[in-house]
Amino acid sequence: MTTALTRAARPYDQADLSSLEFWSGTARDREKVFADLRTNRPISWHRPVTNGMFEDPNDQGFWAVVRHADLVEVTRRPGDFLSGKGITFESLPLEVLDAAQGFIAMDPPRHTKIRRLLASAFTPKQLARIDEHVVANARQIVDDIADKGEVDFVTEVAALVPMHNICDMVGIPAEHRRTIAYESQFADGWRDPRLLQGADPLARVFQTVATIHGVAHELIAARRVKPEDDLMTALVQAEVDGERLTDDDISSFFTLLIIAGNDTTRQSIAHGMKALTDFPDQRAWLLEDLDKRMPLAVEEIIRWATPIMTFRRTAAHDTELGGHQITEGDKVIMFYSSANMDTEVFDHPERLDLSRSPNKHVAFGGGGIHHCLGAQLARRQINATFRELLTRLPDIHTVGEPELGNGNFFHTVMSMTAEFTPENRSGRAR
Amino acid sequence: MKIVVDRSKCSSIGLCEATAPDIFEIGANGSLTILIEDISDDRRVDLEQACENCPTQALSIED
Repeated sequence: MTTALTRAARPYDQADLSSLEFWSGTARDREKVFADLRTNRPISWHRPVTNGMFEDPNDQGFWAVVRHADLVEVTRRPGDFLSGKGITFESLPLEVLDAAQGFIAMDPPRHTKIRRLLASAFTPKQLARIDEHVVANARQIVDDIADKGEVDFVTEVAALVPMHNICDMVGIPAEHRRTIAYESQFADGWRDPRLLQGADPLARVFQTVATIHGVAHELIAARRVKPEDDLMTALVQAEVDGERLTDDDISSFFTLLIIAGNDTTRQSIAHGMKALTDFPDQRAWLLEDLDKRMPLAVEEIIRWATPIMTFRRTAAHDTELGGHQITEGDKVIMFYSSANMDTEVFDHPERLDLSRSPNKHVAFGGGGIHHCLGAQLARRQINATFRELLTRLPDIHTVGEPELGNGNFFHTVMSMTAEFTPENRSGRAR
Repeated sequence: MKIVVDRSKCSSIGLCEATAPDIFEIGANGSLTILIEDISDDRRVDLEQACENCPTQALSIED
């Protein structure tokens, strides 16, 4: 048991989890640091992240939670570890939190009521009903690349799959889809000069919020006049505590659904394609019985990708975690990429093992009240996409190393080349 | 066996439905319905799993 120190007096751990360099590297490089922390200092205090923006002079650091068991514990103590103060490392401006993080950055009781509004649309049975749309979208995306032979896999496959599916569910018409999917990248990509192209990061984030909210307001007005069978209509018609949601509330939930829907599954599909290239024996195993083996393979692809690397909580009061005194207001960061490599839970986590069972990965969360709403949707999309790719373009593989993002939230693949024998030349009837 | 739902705790997260979709269902209004009232003993493992998975500890088994 360490004695309670004020935030200012706490010494920083020597491991670097805070620099832009750390987050600009590869998952494999970061894992070396995590492995050391998991073994030797599973709960450790670190200097604030540095990124040149949103610098908060009052930010004194964060606790790093890197073990699977500790991450699950934090997730399951929502009364001690709050989401309402923000879910990322950075102390984002309150306007951004309110406008973009919806109920993911909310605590009970309001979180409970809002989540309930949307929960029914994402259950296994509901998702089974829309599965034919998910399959049709995957087919269309593969149709569109099938004769090309070489594509940027991110922009032409991985990004399009969730874009179409989440837009179908929410009710976003075709003309807005590419704008929305492009803008959503700035949720975590505002550090990245390749995306910013000279824009001021904070100004760019506000532009993203304004663009997405513009679409939201247009749809809110349209659904009030003419309800449809989609999530936007559900939000417009919903009542919480006898009151309709405000347009700003709806726009915030809309923004969350867009970002959480787009920027997660696209990473899983991209990392999955790379993994299937790097582990040909695993791919061969999968292809021996695609129908039966796909569900297990999907879980391992999601573990391997861990599309969301971190989530933050903030201590509601003085409390204890793993023998450490946590002070009210301390930032506590859960490292999902680390927990998903924890040898206490996974045999040889450094190996892609598509037959891994049980697979207790925490890529959808550690089982708390913020557990991923879209988990079933994500699974179905990844399943449909790889089924379509591997049956129609059986030799599809990535070329070279992917270009990675430098954020600390999404495990971003910016671009990645894939090659394959074009379908019409491989002799398959269209 | 029966499943008892503490309605004041249930937040409709749906992990129970993911565990045993034939027993649990989050309905269109977002509230949890237990589809089978009298559940046979051979489903005990599934039910225990659902109770353990529940993020808000809203589920319990009544023999």
